[in-house]
Amino acid sequence: MSLAEEYLDSYQRMVAQGVIFSFVGYVSDGILFSLGEALKQKMRLDATDTNVTKRVFSIFVEQVQNIIRYSAERLEDERGSPSELSSGMIIVGREQGHFFVLCGNRVLREEGATLMRRLSELAAMDRDSIKSYYREKLREPAEAASRGASIGLIEIARRSSRPIEFGLTPFPGEHDFFCLKAFI
Amino acid sequence: MDTFSRPQTERSPLIDFDFANRRLRIEGESYPEDAASFFGPVFKSLAAFLAEVSAETRPAPILLDLRMSYFNSSSAKALMNLFQMLEEAARCGTPVDINWNYDPDDETMQEFGEDFGEDMECVRFNLCVLDAHVF
Repeated sequence: MSLAEEYLDSYQRMVAQGVIFSFVGYVSDGILFSLGEALKQKMRLDATDTNVTKRVFSIFVEQVQNIIRYSAERLEDERGSPSELSSGMIIVGREQGHFFVLCGNRVLREEGATLMRRLSELAAMDRDSIKSYYREKLREPAEAASRGASIGLIEIARRSSRPIEFGLTPFPGEHDFFCLKAFI
Repeated sequence: MDTFSRPQTERSPLIDFDFANRRLRIEGESYPEDAASFFGPVFKSLAAFLAEVSAETRPAPILLDLRMSYFNSSSAKALMNLFQMLEEAARCGTPVDINWNYDPDDETMQEFGEDFGEDMECVRFNLCVLDAHVF
């Protein structure tokens, strides 16, 4: 298979899956901003309803910020955050008339299990419960913020038009691979 | 301190606190890289101002005007913190109004306004639909 054939193959597979864009690798805050701008522009050009655009953008930001904050695969300098780079996968696309935002990243095994538990609780909630859970998190003092699902995950569930989909699978070594897909 | 301000950027809102006239304004989008470091000085300036106000015998009213078009979840928490500080001041006797301005077509901002408003007891939280003709 030639170089072009090989990559045309993966390109076509992605297009068939409705991918608008995909990104794999180190995600910085600058990349979040640039991809977000491209996404907004694309939806503007497609004359997407502004409320839908806002919900897609909102889920996109929370998903990418989750990778930046929680990916277990990261590079950090000794002083920590400004130059930190977390690695993951971001896919935005359309499937059967609905936008989706999918993010994947490696997590520590014990964190992955906790994450699954919290997401299962969230996915089982109806719209009103998600809304009041969000409000409860909003009022909570910052020190208590580590309990339960993060407000970012609740925001994703709240802006989604159907229950969030998620999964966890072992990654060689001490990590699991986690992914979360939200439809708008 | 008479004023505290930060210019609007692509990812952080305009902050315009005119403490001398008791008019505070926040406008734009908010998803800064580090919400804690962006909002930290904002909280500090408001806390210092509210401490001065609490020493007054008959405090004059305070007005916070917001016009947000998007904010992420960490910014939502930061806004809630600001509102809670004002709620505390209102509980102690300072009249406080918060105007939540939003575009009539913006469902998310309307819903956020309703959510925030439900948590205010002493602050007068006003949902203000912006005139469509302004756009």
